[in-house]
Amino acid sequence: MEPFTLIRPRTLDAAQTRALGAPAERVYKAGGIDLLDLLKEGLARPAELIDLRSLGDEHGQAMRALAASDSGWSVGALNTLAAISASALPQAYAALREAAGSAATPSIRNSATLGGNLLQRPRCWYFRHRDLHCLKKGGERCLADGGENKFHAILGGGPCHIVHPSTLAVALVALDAQVEIIGAEGPRRIPVGELFALPRVSPTAENTLGEGEVIRGVTLPAAAAGQRSVYEVAKEKQSFDWPLAEVAVALSVEGGALRTVRVALGHVAPTPWRAVQVEEALTGQAPSAELFARVAALATQGARSLGDNAYKIPLVQGLVRAALHRACDVPVPA
Amino acid sequence: MAGETTIYTLRLGFDDKLKAVKVEVPKGEPRPWDADSELAVIGRDTPRIDSVPKVTGAAQYTHDVRLPGMLHAAVLRSPHPAAEIEHLDVSPALKQPGVRAAIDLVKVGDKVRFAGADVAAVAAKTRDEARAALASIVVRYRPLPFVVDLDEAIQPGSPKVHEKAVKDRRTEGDEPSEGGKARVEGNVRRNPSLSKGSSNKGLRQAKVRHEATYTTQVHTHSALETHSIVVRWDSPKAMTAWCSTQGIFSVRDELAGVFELKPADVKVFTEYMGGGFGAKFGASAPGSRLGWIAGELARKSKAPVSLLLDRHEEHVCTGNRPGSTQRVTLGATTSGELTAIHVVGHGSAGIGTGAGIGNNAFGIYTRCPNILVESRDVFCNTGPGTAFRAPGHPQGAFAIELAIDELALKLGKDPLELRIGHVEHPVRRAQLELGRERFRWAERRREADAKRSRGARYLTGVGVACSIWGDYGRKNAARVTVSVDRDGVVEVRNGVQDIGGGITTVLAMVAAEVFARPVPSIRVQVGNSELGPSVGSGGSQTTSSVAPAARNAAEAVKAELTELAAKLLGRGSTEGLVWGSDGVSEVGGRKRTIAFAELCKKIEGEAVVATASRPQTYNAGPMRHPSAPVYQIAGAHFIEAEVDTWTGVVRVPEVLAIHDVGRVHNPLTTRSQVNGGIALGISYALMEQRIVDRGSGRMLNPNLESYKIIGAAELPKLDIVFTELHTGANSTGAVGIGEPSTIPTAAAIACAVHHAIGRPVRSLPMTPDRVLAAIQGA
Ligand SMILES: Cc1cc2nc3c(=O)[nH]c(=O)nc-3n(C[C@H](O)[C@H](O)[C@H](O)COP(=O)(O)OP(=O)(O)OC[C@H]3O[C@@H](n4cnc5c(N)ncnc54)[C@H](O)[C@@H]3O)c2cc1C
Repeated sequence: MEPFTLIRPRTLDAAQTRALGAPAERVYKAGGIDLLDLLKEGLARPAELIDLRSLGDEHGQAMRALAASDSGWSVGALNTLAAISASALPQAYAALREAAGSAATPSIRNSATLGGNLLQRPRCWYFRHRDLHCLKKGGERCLADGGENKFHAILGGGPCHIVHPSTLAVALVALDAQVEIIGAEGPRRIPVGELFALPRVSPTAENTLGEGEVIRGVTLPAAAAGQRSVYEVAKEKQSFDWPLAEVAVALSVEGGALRTVRVALGHVAPTPWRAVQVEEALTGQAPSAELFARVAALATQGARSLGDNAYKIPLVQGLVRAALHRACDVPVPA
Repeated sequence: MAGETTIYTLRLGFDDKLKAVKVEVPKGEPRPWDADSELAVIGRDTPRIDSVPKVTGAAQYTHDVRLPGMLHAAVLRSPHPAAEIEHLDVSPALKQPGVRAAIDLVKVGDKVRFAGADVAAVAAKTRDEARAALASIVVRYRPLPFVVDLDEAIQPGSPKVHEKAVKDRRTEGDEPSEGGKARVEGNVRRNPSLSKGSSNKGLRQAKVRHEATYTTQVHTHSALETHSIVVRWDSPKAMTAWCSTQGIFSVRDELAGVFELKPADVKVFTEYMGGGFGAKFGASAPGSRLGWIAGELARKSKAPVSLLLDRHEEHVCTGNRPGSTQRVTLGATTSGELTAIHVVGHGSAGIGTGAGIGNNAFGIYTRCPNILVESRDVFCNTGPGTAFRAPGHPQGAFAIELAIDELALKLGKDPLELRIGHVEHPVRRAQLELGRERFRWAERRREADAKRSRGARYLTGVGVACSIWGDYGRKNAARVTVSVDRDGVVEVRNGVQDIGGGITTVLAMVAAEVFARPVPSIRVQVGNSELGPSVGSGGSQTTSSVAPAARNAAEAVKAELTELAAKLLGRGSTEGLVWGSDGVSEVGGRKRTIAFAELCKKIEGEAVVATASRPQTYNAGPMRHPSAPVYQIAGAHFIEAEVDTWTGVVRVPEVLAIHDVGRVHNPLTTRSQVNGGIALGISYALMEQRIVDRGSGRMLNPNLESYKIIGAAELPKLDIVFTELHTGANSTGAVGIGEPSTIPTAAAIACAVHHAIGRPVRSLPMTPDRVLAAIQGA
């Protein structure tokens, strides 16, 4: 690990002024969990880390807030996963609480923040390997294609086949969240799905943030009447591990029929992935075990195995089923 | 006098099967503890006497050693799985900041045979400087064709890993075996077989056959403390080393050998160590000459050198449990009598040897008259394997036990009854019968079958598997010194290392028992080669080699102190004197007592001191091990597994482990060994797996993040039962537990998963991808 200087600015303005002009040299730090890994692996060699946790201005306060607003709920980017998991977010947004409470380990969740979680780099073992130079690192080709690809993408991959690592992003996509971004030109807001970019757009970056831009937080729109949301995940190891696949579902039941259904899949594609066909097939239907079993198969339409990752197809289907059962209180066969 | 013996009649055996047995022991040996011995300390839960320094951080591990002027070493490792060195120049490293020495570890023209092999090394003032300087070393490699996959390496025409015959590298961690000649063809080396009867004939007689291939992954030791050594030259002919090792004397001997020193001029310390599991014998690691590197850099730089591996290096060059592919063929009569067991095991210990599959298929279901176990090493361009907690056994157990369950299903037989019908060892049989009741075998099986037929999402299954091990306690290897000084201080000294098993505490307990003193009052010194010869901690032989020696030494001191007491009490002999917590008392007559402290004050000179060892095992009853003339240790695990059929995730909610460990000296640390054995077994069964990229030959998960190791969330409810067995094998009755405790776990889980889903998962680890494939019938 190379030596670096830790800068602790008091205002967002100071932080952004510092960061502009040298993106690889000066980087923001929040909880520092992913950054530390990147430094140790030699994947990032910044001279300065600009700590966002020292911000004391109004932006800093907004980044630490977690509160109801006129139009829903705002969650500041510096909230830790532990804080989100233990927060007073209403049941309609339970998927976010559950996602935050399931990621990583208790000690990591105490440091890791929402902003850092959305912007963490992928876990692909070719990308993370100190001796290997893959497409994502500026090399010629994706080494997972034709290589060891058990954890890689079944949807949306190519030319690079990573899966996006952020668990919170999956819940936020299902909850139709907006991301609030502050750049040199002022604030902007985008749907969370637009924060992420497929490799065919940019093989070396996973998000669309501009230079020096900071995520201030996310807003969750007002919940539909009777909205429920859940998060389901499968891991090889129940703690200290990333998901094999994960699913977040938000829906409401009106007059016995499913409405405003949103289904997001994680760890199956280079970005959080919306299962639009599943949403459409569910809308207007009465919830039932048979329906869920049938529509789950639509979640992976167009999926393609790279060789070792075909199991993700039944796996994510199983998770979609499990999530729907729980969201609609339909008991699973026991 | 040599050859003189004493015969004791001891009550030996287990449960209600105790009987009087005559045991012949060398003269001078105390009467071995048997079923009639009333012990006050041995057999009671005793917390580790060194727990406070461990939990407060005061304990000094090799990683903590800081010597004045000490330098730090770093090793340049080959990025290529196979290459010829065309050019190598370490001199630019000498110009880097902080660097004081640089050495090459290969010569131009040499071949490196795995990614991670030693190439060159430097010593610098800080570890960061040493690592940074490696980049300046100039190496030109000529990459060569390579093979990293076991199945590919077997194919004729695949790149040859070694041009010449390879010498076996055996350590104290390997199970003693009779050895034999090996034949090499391509990358495949045929090792001696285990055979009885005629498996061909047995298969011809069979009415029902089961034949399938089972595979197991490469498993790395992943001790928390990575390999580490600090070397200081005390003179041109003498050195001191601090080393994280399972065998202090193997470190001393290797350093003496490579630097041409007298063993007596090499001092080795291992005050505390953070795990080894079989990979830490000698001063070096199986795939890296750590002892030479640290010693040579220290010699060149004239300063002590510390060499601590990082996690990446630990995974690639310090050994592993070899992977295997085992073809198992079983034959049986329609009534369920096994007529033949035939196993052909191919294993890969990378560039090394020793990928055999243990005694499980050969030594457990011995009512089967025809057994043939063939075993082959397959060379690959990957880091060498080495002994790993019960070498060969977990992989061997997995294949044979799952195959037996599959056969039982074909026969329509209960797999537990099939097993009970084929074991001969009385202890193992009793264990299987005990487990049947205690684990509610039949009831759980029925519940599980019902869930499966209902089509439940979560299915459960129960499985059972056995372990086999030997009492490898060694004669005359550990020389333990016990002293009692005028101040009443009782001290036990031996050069053994405590790798976490808790030998330090057991030594205190033995002395406390003999002298009737409280455990905390006993001083124990270990972890230093100057404290007297000892064994390496391999083969589960530490307690059984060292504790009896300690008892024998303590008894000799006690005898001398008893004489002194008799003299002080004016008695003609020691007859009629007994030791108790008050001191030494007369049984009859005036019932006088001399307090321990008073007695010690009267010691002539400084202290009463005795050094003793232990002789060869005196008894191999009730059943001998099939491959060595020693007592056979039995154990069995009963396991419930739960499978989420929607995700393929397997959980292990409950384990019943029944083990024979001879006399349990400290139940607390013995259970701790079994806890660890089971945790390791679950981890092996469900998640640990080295992934090597077939394209580049590099390990892709050389970390503790994508190389996954069990955590607290996966630990089951554990029920541990010891079949206390009075073996009469040595003066305290200790045998081993460390290794047997991990042997059956993965196998029993595989059987439980098979029962749950009705289909076998024939590859370890049973990760969700494989479980889903099995459920879907792929
Ligand atoms: C063993 C283990 C298991 C894990 N399992 C999971 C899991 O299951 N699911 C999951 O989602 N994650 C998992 N993680 C990852 C962990 O959650 C992330 O590393 C963490 O959330 C990153 O947050 P941070 O605050 O520490 O980010 P940092 O490391 O501080 O920052 C990460 C990146 O984000 C940038 N950044 C941070 N905040 C902002 C901001 N507000 N605006 C602009 N840029 C910003 C930084 O510049 C940096 O590039 C796991 C990690 C470990 C070690």
